[in-house]
This record gives sequence, structure tokens and C-alpha cells, in this order.
Amino acid sequence: MEMTKYRDNGQFCSGHVACAGCAEALSMRVILNAVGEDTVGVVAPSCTAVILGGHPMSSAKIPVLHGTLESAAASASGVKRALKAQGRDDTTVLCLAGDGGTYDIGLQALSSAAERNEDILYVCFDNEGYMNTGGQKSSSTPHMATTGSTPLGKATHKKNLIEILAAHRIPYIATASPSHLSDLAAKVEKAKSIRGTKVIIVLIPCLPGWGVADNAAVKTARLAVEAGAFPLLEIEDGVHYSLTVAEKTRPIDAYLAEQKRYRRLSDEDRAALQSEVDDAWSRLLARAGKDLNA
Amino acid sequence: MNKHPSPLWTHLTSENRMTGTWRSALPNYQNQPSPCLGACPVHGHIAEWIKQVKDGDVYGAWVTLTENNPFPAIAGRICHHPCESACNRQHMDETVGICSLERFVGDTALAEGWQFSAPPTQETSVAVIGGGPAGLSAAYQLRRRGFRVALYETKDELGGLMRFGIPAYRLARSVLDGEINRITAMGVDLHLGVPAVDGAALETLQNSHDAVFLATGASLPKRLPALDYANPWVVDSADFLAAPVSEQTDRTGARVIVIGGGSAAMDVARSARRLGRSVTVLALEPEGRLPAQRIEVEEAVEEGVNFVHGAMMKSAEALGSGVVLNCVRVDFEPGDAPGAFSVEPLDGSDFELMADTIIPAIGQDADLARWSGVLDAKGPVVATGRDWQTSKPGLYAGGDVASMNRFVTQAVGMGKEAATAIAAALTPGDARPPANGAAQVAYDRINIAYHDTHGRNRQRNTEIEARLATFDEVQQPLGPNEARSEAARCFSCGTCIYCDNCYFYCPDMAITKLENGYVVNSDYCKGCGLCVAECPTGSIHMREDTSS
Repeated sequence: MEMTKYRDNGQFCSGHVACAGCAEALSMRVILNAVGEDTVGVVAPSCTAVILGGHPMSSAKIPVLHGTLESAAASASGVKRALKAQGRDDTTVLCLAGDGGTYDIGLQALSSAAERNEDILYVCFDNEGYMNTGGQKSSSTPHMATTGSTPLGKATHKKNLIEILAAHRIPYIATASPSHLSDLAAKVEKAKSIRGTKVIIVLIPCLPGWGVADNAAVKTARLAVEAGAFPLLEIEDGVHYSLTVAEKTRPIDAYLAEQKRYRRLSDEDRAALQSEVDDAWSRLLARAGKDLNA
Repeated sequence: MNKHPSPLWTHLTSENRMTGTWRSALPNYQNQPSPCLGACPVHGHIAEWIKQVKDGDVYGAWVTLTENNPFPAIAGRICHHPCESACNRQHMDETVGICSLERFVGDTALAEGWQFSAPPTQETSVAVIGGGPAGLSAAYQLRRRGFRVALYETKDELGGLMRFGIPAYRLARSVLDGEINRITAMGVDLHLGVPAVDGAALETLQNSHDAVFLATGASLPKRLPALDYANPWVVDSADFLAAPVSEQTDRTGARVIVIGGGSAAMDVARSARRLGRSVTVLALEPEGRLPAQRIEVEEAVEEGVNFVHGAMMKSAEALGSGVVLNCVRVDFEPGDAPGAFSVEPLDGSDFELMADTIIPAIGQDADLARWSGVLDAKGPVVATGRDWQTSKPGLYAGGDVASMNRFVTQAVGMGKEAATAIAAALTPGDARPPANGAAQVAYDRINIAYHDTHGRNRQRNTEIEARLATFDEVQQPLGPNEARSEAARCFSCGTCIYCDNCYFYCPDMAITKLENGYVVNSDYCKGCGLCVAECPTGSIHMREDTSS
């Protein structure tokens, strides 16, 4: 693996109140620095809102508008249009939300913005649950993971937001991981250079929510990528799929073992999850391969 | 107060909040010893010089290497490399080829003619008795520190076992001469071909020098009681190895039996093969457990040496133009001390071997008789205490004469340690640096996500047919690109490579890069330990912090 490298111009400040070892704060550091000074942030209620805010202090050097949970993408669309009216069309509007604000409560606003192809960069910090409010399940919570509201493990599957977004044929969709920070920075920079709606989903292993050790968020995210449980990819115009990490190099076991939310799993459960990952991976390969043959 | 740049309602940055108060542990940058360093007989800073090779700074690597060992080209060829056995990389794919890299650095230094700087000579003078690896290593370390050094050697040439015990196909004489000449060029007062130093001579040397280092090696061959060494068909292995090729040819018949399973036995057997002899090695140890290095045995087999394992000779007698060896199978049990063992002959397993020449190679003893009553002995070697000082104050001893650790680099290490002790004793107020007491970096401290699987870059051997035609070197060196690639395989256990991972993975921007290192900002560090977890070299660890 290549060594990590990205630019840090001090756009994200020390003293924020993210948990010690939080991968979301780490990812935010990379994103805020990659997107640059000429940016306005729009934030949905989420861990992000807490990490960036805390009046009268802010940990971001850019101005940030704190909106409502259901309207992040709509607020961002409005901010972008207002900036355009002021002749500041080059200013990036960065919308930051969690999976609750993206997969569930903000999905309508996001879908509408995507359908209108609003010129916003939308980042979803996907920690697979409402982790900020005590750890309830969201529609992003994966199959069999325990949360406060799924104590025996979630019975249904994680919503496939990537496919939903692809169906909107927006110019750019990507997934990223705090274990691959140079890749995250490169994807933000690429998205910033594209006009229209761009969405980046970043996997955030939540330390208290997933039951991961304080020093293990990056390791857990890396295992997710290596196991193919969270593939790193890019989709252009909703149809051109490409895999950033083209190989699945390990079984899912080590990824599951790192997290307490999976500790109730039986061997059969683990095998079932493995075959779900394998199936999803082959579907993904087929999509990426189809593009190669086009 | 840290003002927010944007003139909005929120007017301060979060830097006003000291999240360091949350912390119970703080990352601590500490270069810790690597397992290779712990295993190295000369305590060489392996991770450090390999990084220099990786960065293309071969001269820097040579300077680092030669702090502890003046013989990188020699050690790179013949060291038993316990460093490689200890290497953490073996748990991922294969050990790093440390020895081949050492040879690369040593050979480059010889080709470039790099020399040691020789500080001006002080009045303080040390006598070194014996010009083998221990004596030369001590002479080198003493000269580096400015001491006057007088070196006494009974032979007409320096090198000891390296010259008279190791055949040229393992260690080219040009390499040996090159690395020895570089030491004598530092200004060593050489006395070659002198009589062996006895008790009285020892006294004289002690009176004329401030300290004496005794490194006369182990020159007495161990004898097999069942063999009459007066027979013309018995040749002592040390004599054989020291002799020129013409003499080796004259003294051996067509069928040679070598008795012993150590390095010397392999050297004799493979030399005899180069003379065109048919060679059988008779060893007490069962197959796979010979004391010789595994690679030596493999190469001997490749060169057509036959092995009879787990057997001993009971007697030998002339029969016709040849010799018949009466042998028996044995049960072999190794003992606790190096070289100790016991054997039990197996009834009814007698057999015979035919030969023209028998060359016993069962080890050498130190000749202690010449100092009896003058120096205390401990078993078969000169007794030494801490710092290799003998029972006579000011007289130090190291190498084969003082230890049963008989590998060349162990002797080099003892020479270095004794020289360091002598220097400290002769320089009042010169405190020795405290030893790095930190624990060795274990494999689980290395984040292998940053190290790609990559098999070892292997040295090639000359074709077997060509090997048997000459005494030219068998092992061919790594090329510069192979060496760089091999150096890049090193995990650099415990030695920071300044990769900036700790800086990049901090979610709290609490690590600042300095010119040559990092500093943790305790105002903000929450003590999560991500920097430690993502360190590819294991050179940071978390330390409990009770300050706040």
C-alpha cells in the first residue's frame, strides 16, 4: 500500500469535540483541506454538526450553515443559487450529513437536488446508524448488526444508496474510507472540479456505536475495504463504474471480529454475511466489467 | 484567543478548547531496538543502515555499519546471520536478506576505496595479541578512539581464521585483504611473525602498554582418541585449510573422509571436492541437525559431497593402499552448552567406510597451557569477567580464546566490546552511554498494511560445474537495483522512517512535523493511539499520562 499523503492547510482546527480516535473527524480534516478555503459548508444535524460547531467556536475555517435534518441538500441548493446570484459561482458548496440525514430523513431532499443536478458536493459520513443519539439503527445499518433498536441484530439489509444515486445519473458518485486518505483527498478534488451533483459516501466505523477500540477505526475501515464489505469505487454519470481497490483480499471474519455489534453472530451468520458480500462483489464486478466492454 | 477568519456569529475557532485534558495516555516517540539488532553479535544498527541503502546513501550506510563492524564485506559473506533468523518480516513472507545487503555495502566501499579516518595517536597505548577477527576488531575500535595500538601476530599475515580457516570460494582473498588493509592504514604498529606470547611475554607487554587485549583464538585441534595422527593418511583440518592448494593436493588421496559436521568440516569437504576428490562427511548428528549453517550443507550436497549422518568412527587401519574406517551408528543428544553433546552407539549397527585420507574437523581448543599459573581459566577458555577483563587487571581477552561462541562475527563483537571497555577504563570520566533498555519491537507492533508482500531478492550461486573447477567465490552479489529493492523490504522495526503517517492520521491535528521528527501537542492530543496503530515501524508507543 502506498504511504499516506494529502495537503493540510489548517482548514480544520484542533479542539473539536469528536470522540478520541474518531474517523469522522479524521475524514473531515482531509475533506476540508482538499476542498479549500473558497467553500461554504451546509451541515445537517449529526455528529458533524457537533464536531464543527459548539457556539461561539467552530472547528472549520469556512463559514458553515447548520440546517435541518430533512433539508440538508435543499439548503445546500439554496446556498449555491444565492452564491451564484452574487457572482460567486466558483465557491464550492459542501454539504455534510450523516447516514440518518442521507439514507433516511434527508433522502427526499437529496433525491430532488440530484434530479435537478444542483451544483453541490454532498458528503455522507456513513456510520451505519444514529450514533449521535445513542446508537439506533438507520436504513444504512447492515444486516445482523446490533444497535440500540436492533438488539438481536438488524433483520433487513443495508439500503443500497449507491444504486439509488446512480439511478439519478448524477455526474459523480464515489465511496471512500479513512483507511485510504490519499484516495479520499483525490476524490474530493476530482468532485470539486465537476459541475453538478457529486456525492461521496465515507465509511465511518463509529467507536462507541460499533464497539471498536479507540485506536482501531482506521484498521476497521481498512478491513472493510479489503474484505469487499465496503468497496471503494467511483461512478460517473450513473453508469461508468470503476473500482478504486480492484481486489477483495480477505474474508469478512477479521472485519466482523473488530466490532462488538457483530459479536452475537454464529458461524452460520458469518457464512451468510460472507456470501452476501461475495454476491454484492460479483454484481459490482459485473457492472464495472460491463463498462469495460461498452 | 484564536479568532475565526469568517466575520460571522461564531467568532472563535475550536483551538480555544483544550481537548488534551481528556487524555489518559500520550504517544511517545522512542526508537526501540529491532529483533535483528538484539540478535546481532556486533550489535549493529541494522534498520538504520538498511534505510540508508534504501534511500541510495550507500556511503552513509557504510559509515553506520562500520561503527560496530569494520568487516561488512567479510561478514556479508560468512556471517551466520542470526539477525535474519530474528527478522520480523519472516512472519509476513520471508526474512530480509540482511547479509546480502551488508555484502553490497561492503563491496561498494571496497570498490570506491572508502577509508576510515584515523584520529591523531594519543600517548595511551594498547597491545593487541592476535590478528584474527577479535584482535582486528579491537585494534580498529581502539584506533578510532585515538589510542596507540601495537598488534602482535605469530603468522606472517593478518586475518587469523578468516584467512587460514575459510576457503577463498566463501571469502575472496582480495576482500579479506581490502578490509584488513583499511584497518592497518589507520596506523597500527604491526609485529608479524612473532613467537607465541607466553606468560612472561604477557608480563612484559603489560608493563610496556596501558592495557593488553588477548585474542589468540583456538589454535589446538581437538583430537579423536581413536585415530593415530602420526599416520600419513591422517591430515589435520586446520593444517589442510591453511595450506596452499598445491599442498592440499599433495596430501590427499582420491577418497577423502571428513569427520565432523561443523563449518570447518564443510570447508574441508568442499575444498577437497575442488581438488577433484571424492568426499564423504561422517557426522555424529542426524541429518538436518549439523552445527554447520544450513546453506553450507546444501551447497556441499550440490557439489557432490556425500554425507553419513548419525555415525561415528571407532577405529581406522591401513588396508592395502587405502584405509578402512570401522564405524557405528549412534544416538546423538545435544547438551546445554554450545558444542556439548553425548552419543550412545547402537548395538549391531557397525559398518565400514573406505578412504585414502581422513581429515578430522571436530573443532579447535584454545591453547591455555602457555599461561598456566598466570591466567585463570574457565573450562576450556580464559576466564573473563564483566567487560572481558581477565584475572589480571588491565589484561582483557576475547574471541575464541575466551569464549565457546565461535562464529567470526561473534569474535568481532567481543573485540568491539573489549575495546569499548578498555577505552572506558583508560579514559577517566568517560561515561559509557547507557544501554537502550527498551523492549524489542515485536511483529504485532508493525502495521503490515504499509508493507506489500514481496519475496526476497536472492543472491545467485555460480553453476555447480564452474564452482568445482576453481576456488572462486560461489555466491554472486546483489546488483544495485536488487539491493535497493531488498532494502525496501525492511520493516525498519523501531526506527522511524519519517513517513508522516502519525501526522496524517491524527484526527486532532495534535502532531507537528519537525525537521527530523515529530512533536505531540499535549494541549489537544486526546490519547486515542491512532498514530501508534498506523505506524508502519513500531517506533511510537502510548505511555500513561497522569499529568492532567
